[in-house]
Amino acid sequence: MTASKLLLSLTLAASAVCAQVRFEDIKKSPNENWLLYAGDYAAQRHSPLDEINRSNVDSLVAKWVHHVDSRRLSSVPLVFEGVMYVSNSNEVYALDAVSGRGVWHYRQPGVEMNRVNRGVGILGDRVFFVTSDCHLVALHRLTGGVLWDHQYADPKDGYHCTVSPVPVKDKIIVGVSGGDSGIRGYMTAHSPSTGEELWRLWTIPAEGEPGSETWGPKTLPWGGAGTWMSGSYDPELDVLYWGTGNPWPDFYGGDRPGDNLYTDSLLAIDPDTGEMKWYFQFTPHDVWDWDAQEFPILLDLPWEGKQRKLVVQANRNGYYYVLDRTNGEFLLGTPFVDKLTWASGLDKNGRPIVIEGTEPNIEGVEVCPTVRGASNFMAPSYNPDTGLLYFVVLEGCDIYTSSEKEPVPKTGFAGTGGERPPNDENQFFIRALEPATGKRVWEYPMTGPTTMWAGTVSTAGGLVFFADDDKHLVALDAKSGQHLWHFNLGQPLYSSPITYSVNGKQYVTIVAQTDVFTFGLFEPAKPVPLVPEAGPR
Amino acid sequence: MKPVISLPVFSILFLAVVVCAQDEDAMPALQRDAAAIEATYVGNPEAIKAGGQLYLTVCSGCHGPSGEGGRGPSLVRGNRVRKVSNVKLFAAIQKGVPGTDMPPFPFPDEPIWQLVAFTRSLVASAYETDVPGDPAAGETVFFGKGECSRCHMIRGTGGFLGPDLTVAGVSNTIAQLREAFLDPNRRTTGGYRSVNAEMATGEKISGVARNNSNYSIQIIDKDGQLHLLTKQNLHSIEFPRKSWMPDDYDDRLSEEEVQNVLAFLSRQAPHPAAGSSSAGRGGDR
Repeated sequence: MTASKLLLSLTLAASAVCAQVRFEDIKKSPNENWLLYAGDYAAQRHSPLDEINRSNVDSLVAKWVHHVDSRRLSSVPLVFEGVMYVSNSNEVYALDAVSGRGVWHYRQPGVEMNRVNRGVGILGDRVFFVTSDCHLVALHRLTGGVLWDHQYADPKDGYHCTVSPVPVKDKIIVGVSGGDSGIRGYMTAHSPSTGEELWRLWTIPAEGEPGSETWGPKTLPWGGAGTWMSGSYDPELDVLYWGTGNPWPDFYGGDRPGDNLYTDSLLAIDPDTGEMKWYFQFTPHDVWDWDAQEFPILLDLPWEGKQRKLVVQANRNGYYYVLDRTNGEFLLGTPFVDKLTWASGLDKNGRPIVIEGTEPNIEGVEVCPTVRGASNFMAPSYNPDTGLLYFVVLEGCDIYTSSEKEPVPKTGFAGTGGERPPNDENQFFIRALEPATGKRVWEYPMTGPTTMWAGTVSTAGGLVFFADDDKHLVALDAKSGQHLWHFNLGQPLYSSPITYSVNGKQYVTIVAQTDVFTFGLFEPAKPVPLVPEAGPR
Repeated sequence: MKPVISLPVFSILFLAVVVCAQDEDAMPALQRDAAAIEATYVGNPEAIKAGGQLYLTVCSGCHGPSGEGGRGPSLVRGNRVRKVSNVKLFAAIQKGVPGTDMPPFPFPDEPIWQLVAFTRSLVASAYETDVPGDPAAGETVFFGKGECSRCHMIRGTGGFLGPDLTVAGVSNTIAQLREAFLDPNRRTTGGYRSVNAEMATGEKISGVARNNSNYSIQIIDKDGQLHLLTKQNLHSIEFPRKSWMPDDYDDRLSEEEVQNVLAFLSRQAPHPAAGSSSAGRGGDR
C-alpha cells in the first residue's frame, strides 16, 4: 500500500460512521434487529416484540412487497437498524425495511443462479454469504461492495453451498452441501477480516482415524455428512452445536457397514479450534436419508429437580430428543409423530431399536416418516412465557427402494430413493410440545400438497407466526393454537418468518418463492404531498 | 477469414447436437464440432463486422445502437448477456425468448452466429479485454493524485458517493469505464444520482440517492451514513445536473495516467489475476 493510499484509507476509516454489528449485539438478537438465521444463538426464534399481539393481530396488513427475479427464494432475512438483507442464489439485496425499496444489490459475477441460498450472516461492517460454488464472500454492509472472496470448497469434489454463515466471536462459520451425491463433509471457520480459513472440522473421519472403523472402504472417502444448516451456540459454555447430514449412498447401506460416523449427528464443537467435544448420533447406519440438521434448540430448564443446560431437537427420524448440552448425555427420546414404523423405540442411550424389514430393498418397503422427515429445516420456536416448543411436523410415509449398484460419487447416485405411496394422506401440522416430556399440548393441521419448507417464529405478543403448506402466512394463539389471522401469499414457501421493529413499529416478514412480504399493524393512509424536486429528472 | 464450414453442413451438425444430445457415444465428437463452429465466428473480426451491420438493422430498434437498451433491455449492463453461453445466445436470437417481447429471428445460421459474434464483442467485459496501460501506476493514481478513492471503494478502501469498483473489470465494458471516467455526466449510474435534500426540520442532507420514489428516498452521504427517509418528512429535494464525479479528468491527468487507471480498473474482479486479463473467474467462462 502506498503512503498516500494508507493516509487516505485512515482518513476515510476515521470519517466513516458505519455502525458496527458487534458480537454483543448478536448475543442480544432478536430484539428490534434480527441478526441470525436462527434469530438467536439458542435457536429459540422467540422475539420480545409485542406491539403486534393477540388483541390486535386481526388488523395486520401488508406494508410492502419486494419482488426478486428468482426460481426459489429460500432465505431468512436479517435486519439491522432498519436495513434488511435478503439473499437469493448468488446474490444479495439490501432493502429499506420500512418501505421495501432497494438500497443495494450485489450479484456474484461469472456464476449463474444455481441452487438455493439460506441467508446471510452479519458482523462488524460486513455481510457474509456463500455462493453456490462455495465462495464465502464478504460485502460492505453499506455499499454491497466486495471486501474479500474466499473459496472454501471445490465443486469438482462434489460440494455445493447454501448455508447461512454464522458469526461466532471473531470467526465466521460455514458448512457444505452435497451429501446426497458423495462428499467428505466438513465445516470451516474464517477470519471476518480476510476470509482466511482458521480451522476445518471433517465430519467423515480419514482412514485410520477414530470413527473410520464404522465404514467400509468403498464409501468412507465419500461418506456424506453435509453441514448445510446453520447451528446454534452457547456463549456461556462457548460451545457451537451443529447438525450433520445423511451417509452416502442415502438408501443403500450394504457398502457401508457400521454406524457411519459422524453422519446424522449433533456435534458439540469448540468454536476457537474446531475440536469436536462430543457427538450424539440420532440415526446410526441411516438408510432413509434422515439428516440431523433440524435446529438444535438450547434450553435451560429444570430436569428431575435440577436446573440443566439442555439441547433439544425434533429429528427427521420422528423422535424428539432431549440431551444434556454440557456432555451429550441422552435424557429423553419420544416420538413426535404418529406415523413412525422404522423403530420400536430408543434404548437407554438413545440408540434406536430398528424394526427388521424396514431397510429399503429392490421391491420397495413402506416406512414412516417420509424421506423429507417428520420435521426438517422448517424453523421451530420456543416461547418461554407459554413454556411450549412449536414444530412443523409432517405425518407421512414413503416407499423406500434400494438397489445394489456400485456407488459412484459425484454422479447424483443415491442408492435409489423414497416416493410417496399411492393414496397416502401426508399432512403437515404445527405441534406445540412440552419441552421436558415431548407431550403434545395442541396441534394445528394444514391443508396443501406437502411441498413446503417453511417454519415458525414466536413472539412476546403471545403469537406463533408460521408459513403453511397452502401459501398462507398464519398467526396462531401461542397458548391455545387457535387461529387468529392469515394472509394468502399466493406463492409456495421455502423459508421461515421473522419479526423486527423500526422506529418503534413492529413488522413481520416472510420470504416467499419470488417475493419478500412484510406486514405491520393497520394505520390509516396519510396523503404524501409531492416534494418539490429541483434539477433534471 | 471466411468460415471454414459451409452453411448446410454446419446446420446439420448444429441440429444433430441438439437432437442427438442423448446419444452418449456420439456426443463428444459433436460437441467438439459445435465448439469449432462457435470458434469460427466468435472473436472473428469479419463476423463481428457483419454482425454489427445486421445488428443495426434488426436489433438496435429495441436494444439501442450501442446496446445500452431502449424499448428492450440493455445488453451491456449487468450479466444479462455476459453470463449466457454462445449456444444459448444463438438460440435466444433464432427462437426468441418465450414470455418476453424478444421475437424469433428465423434467419439461417450464419447471420445468427454473426450476431452472436457482434453481441459478444459488444458486451465483453473490460476484464476480458486486453486493456493497455500500467495497472500498478493506475492504482497509484486511483488512490493518490486522482483522488478517486475519496468516493469509490475497492475492497473496503475508499468512500461512499460513487459505485464500489471492486468488480468493475468484470461488470463493465472498457467503453463504459472510459465514458464513466471522462464523461461522467453523460449517463447517470443507477443508484448514484447526486442529491441535496432538505428535511421539514431544516436539516440538510447531501449525498447520492440509492433509490427514490414519490413516497420514500434512500440517501447515502459522503460519510457513509445511510438516510432512509419518508417523503412526508422532507421539505424539498434537489437533484443537481452534475454528478459528484469530477468531469475534468481530461485536464487533471495525462493521457497516459488515464490509460493506466483504466488498465487498473479493468483488472478489478472478485479474484484479480495479477498481470492477466484472461485468467480468473470473471466474465462468461
